[in-house]
Amino acid sequence: MPEYDAVVIGAGNGGLTGALTLARAGRKVLLLERHNVPGGCATSFVRGRFEFEVALHQLSGMGSAERPGPLRSVLNDLGVMDKLEFVEMENLYRVVWPDTFDITLRAERNAIVETLQERFPKEKDNIPRFFDLVYSFSMEMVQGLFFKDPNISKEKYPLFFKYALTPTQKVLDEYFSDPLLKAVLSIYWSYAGVPPKWFSFGDFAIMLFAYIEFKPYHLKGGSQALSNALLDEFINNGGEVRFNCGAKKITTKGGRVTGVTTEQGDTVQTRYVLSNTSMLQTYLDLMDPDQVPRETLDGFRSTSIGPSAFSIYMGFDCEPEELGIQETTNFITTTTDMDKAFARWKTMEQQGVALLTCYDVSDPDFSPPGTCQAAYVALQYGDPWYLVPPHQYYDAKYRYAQGMMELAEKVFPGIQGHIEEMEIATPMTHLRYLGHLGGAIYGHDQYTKDTQYFMANRSPVQGLYFAGAWASQGGFQPTLTSGRSSAKAILKSMAKK
Amino acid sequence: MSLKDVIHDIEGYQDIASEIAVLKKYGFDYSAQRGQLESILDMLHPKKLRLRISEIIEETRSAKTLRLVPVQSYLPPFQAGQYISLVVEIGGVVTSRDYSMSSPPSQIGYYDVTVRRVGDGFVSEYLLDEAKPGDEFTSSSPAGNFYYNPLIHGRDLVFIAGGSGITPFMSMIREAAGRGLDRRIHLFYGSQSPDDIIFGQEIEDLSRRHSNFTWTSVISDPPQGYQGRAGFISAGLMEEVLGDLSDKMFFLCGPEAMYTFCRKELASLGVPGRRIRIEMYGPPKNITACQGWPESIDAGATVSVSMKGGKTITVRSTEPLMNSLERSGIVIPSLCRSGECSLCRTKLLKGKVFQPEGVKLRKSDRQFGYIHPCMAYPISDIEILLQ
Ligand SMILES: Cc1cc2nc3c(=O)[nH]c(=O)nc-3n(C[C@H](O)[C@H](O)[C@H](O)COP(=O)(O)OP(=O)(O)OC[C@H]3O[C@@H](n4cnc5c(N)ncnc54)[C@H](O)[C@@H]3O)c2cc1C
Ligand SMILES: Cc1cc2nc3c(=O)[nH]c(=O)nc-3n(C[C@H](O)[C@H](O)[C@H](O)COP(=O)(O)OP(=O)(O)OC[C@H]3O[C@@H](n4cnc5c(N)ncnc54)[C@H](O)[C@@H]3O)c2cc1C
Ligand code: FES
Repeated sequence: MPEYDAVVIGAGNGGLTGALTLARAGRKVLLLERHNVPGGCATSFVRGRFEFEVALHQLSGMGSAERPGPLRSVLNDLGVMDKLEFVEMENLYRVVWPDTFDITLRAERNAIVETLQERFPKEKDNIPRFFDLVYSFSMEMVQGLFFKDPNISKEKYPLFFKYALTPTQKVLDEYFSDPLLKAVLSIYWSYAGVPPKWFSFGDFAIMLFAYIEFKPYHLKGGSQALSNALLDEFINNGGEVRFNCGAKKITTKGGRVTGVTTEQGDTVQTRYVLSNTSMLQTYLDLMDPDQVPRETLDGFRSTSIGPSAFSIYMGFDCEPEELGIQETTNFITTTTDMDKAFARWKTMEQQGVALLTCYDVSDPDFSPPGTCQAAYVALQYGDPWYLVPPHQYYDAKYRYAQGMMELAEKVFPGIQGHIEEMEIATPMTHLRYLGHLGGAIYGHDQYTKDTQYFMANRSPVQGLYFAGAWASQGGFQPTLTSGRSSAKAILKSMAKK
Repeated sequence: MSLKDVIHDIEGYQDIASEIAVLKKYGFDYSAQRGQLESILDMLHPKKLRLRISEIIEETRSAKTLRLVPVQSYLPPFQAGQYISLVVEIGGVVTSRDYSMSSPPSQIGYYDVTVRRVGDGFVSEYLLDEAKPGDEFTSSSPAGNFYYNPLIHGRDLVFIAGGSGITPFMSMIREAAGRGLDRRIHLFYGSQSPDDIIFGQEIEDLSRRHSNFTWTSVISDPPQGYQGRAGFISAGLMEEVLGDLSDKMFFLCGPEAMYTFCRKELASLGVPGRRIRIEMYGPPKNITACQGWPESIDAGATVSVSMKGGKTITVRSTEPLMNSLERSGIVIPSLCRSGECSLCRTKLLKGKVFQPEGVKLRKSDRQFGYIHPCMAYPISDIEILLQ
């Protein structure tokens, strides 16, 4: 029976950086992936003249070569930077409410403050105060938490201890009275998948801070280029990968991993498994029930399956200007009631907030000359789609998409008439390609109660480790980082033997 | 000291911790969801289907419909125009070919596929001459991107079919008629001779019963004294029959030669690319005639293909790599066999392949040396990595 030092299940972001970290350390690694391409969410597909980016809208934590952010350092360490070309975005985002409101924020603190002050003169003094808080808080979080200050205390980091678990909505209410301003400032809640009332200020502040300080990025060739680069480096380091080959079973003995059986029925021996699929799926479907302690499963009772997405990928037969698209990142909103907007994610009702990203604005080579493409997405849970009878699935999908297009038409009139290629992905599409319950793209819901402070994610099975959204947090930066950290933990455990 | 020791000092920590404790007791018990993912997947996109021929219907002298019923009693939904990839084993070689459903999506009891003889075809010959009711096959789930999208294709449709290319349109026409959909459809249908018109009677009946469906039959090799339209589906013919072309959406499905011809005709009529949808058609009949094919390599050339860590085989440069692999017993995943779906994606480690225009490689796949073997022709000795 073939033997590996470690088997990595799933070639999503977390699986890829995990597998590569292990291979670079000289370990013999087998990477198993159900699908035929690496990346999980971080992938693309081709329709007609277009290569559609599936997931990546704005990459966080990159920073420039001169002022590298944490993600750039991770990718540097992994040896893939010379295979990739990153594109910086000048603007943070535009928020547009059809016929009501329109604002674009630059990815620069002072510029944001000025733009907001001009637009919300009544809140003139509150705006800089709020950014002071976001920045001071973030500095404390970086110092105290990320750099693991051994002398961390309430006295030394007062803001961190006061606000880390405070709901974002509460802080916004403390600082501002204009609901529109609050909506504009907190619009990234729809990236995180958590409404401001349940979004911890800690997560929110650091996200906003990081996007402003390290700028939002994209890359040439899209997220697939990153996935391909990571895989290529993995192969160059002696890693073995099998596509179209899911893991079927993790075998254990006496509470310790002993091997993995694939869908094709081959079994390999290993003492370490790094799973990039959900912890739930791993425990429920990849392991024998008697191998998983009841408490472990009960641990999931306080969690819930996070949102998926409804996305429309569009290839246009003209340049962005002709469609009236001037920004890369366009949040379209029709409400300041974020609770209501969030509640709709669990229904088939029309969305209150959606995001239209046109990559060609920042990277004119993204699509073929004379064309452009947009990814138009709104988060939505898998649940309402479970209720659609299979033979009504396609009708339901078009009906929902038509509603989204009517919203887009209000901001970019005539856009629908220029579409040459269109593909629609529902939560069921994500479920199919990722193999995650609910088609979840960020793992579990990330309410305040689900933040890292309350997580006990050590597995009861020796040798079983996790990486990716379900094990840490959703999004590119967290998942790419988590793979590397989990692999380091594995290496440490291997060294002890 | 670490955060763990002072974590209780974070404002709100205690409240949330007790909330979690309650949830751990009364929250949803996920252990009931064992196996649920697979069953949800199977409703829409099962990985594979097992199908049995329930009936074979003789359509014309050169075409038959195979009626396929599920062995497991359930068929997933599809969009009119989509196909399945049918796996067959002939003389020890396992291979697959795509067949568009000719039955409408509303028919949930069976899929009809209609197969036409292609002359020296490998699989079509087998399906037409050997297959019999009761035979079982494995197939893919329905797939493909040749379907009507109500958001962008409008209500005024023109279908251009050649030979067996009628099959996806038959599904669309049957669906539109059966559901009374608000669409106008005109079908141009090219056949070699009047005897080759598949579904002729049904199409004629439907066009009589539905005022929003009309058709024009065009015969390329008319017999002596033939009264109907003869020749090709030309710009002149389209203009004459359709009148104003603006806002019409064109769908094309048929043999290679028809595409080359009709595309030019549509371009001459000023129809923008956005208003034309073309179904893929598998590897070209004669690859050496393709643009970009290296002249130095003639039709008989052979090269060697070695698989890293495996065997080495000798293959013909003019046959798609995938077919050569299958001939020697190596089956790699396939679906479209036309270079579009990327399911066969394979890493080329050494050597050169020719991939005709229309092979849909991702930019970064190209950068990192991936090829689509269903439409890749080895033009030097090569080494590949099967993953
Ligand atoms: C539409 C959309 C928009 C997004 N926008 C952004 C954005 O702008 N910025 C951002 O930071 N993030 C964004 N995200 C989120 C981000 O892409 C994901 O959170 C992240 O990529 C998840 O990575 P992961 O490591 O958890 O792995 P996943 O991507 O979840 O991949 C898991 C992999 O495991 C494989 N697998 C599962 N089960 C098995 C098995 N049994 N055997 C073998 N393999 C298996 C799957 O096939 C898959 O490849 C977006 C996601 C989507 C879908
Ligand atoms: C999306 C899609 C939908 C389709 N739907 C239908 C349908 O509904 N009905 C239908 O009848 N067909 C359909 N087809 C075509 C079908 O998949 C097969 O291609 C067809 O039946 C011929 O297969 P074959 O094995 O008989 O022929 P093959 O053996 O594959 O040969 C096809 C042609 O290639 C030539 N050829 C054979 N071997 C070689 C070689 N080694 N080198 C070069 N040329 C060679 C032959 O001359 C022959 O004319 C569809 C194809 C696609 C891609
Ligand atoms: S089988 Fe679809 S690209 Fe090769």
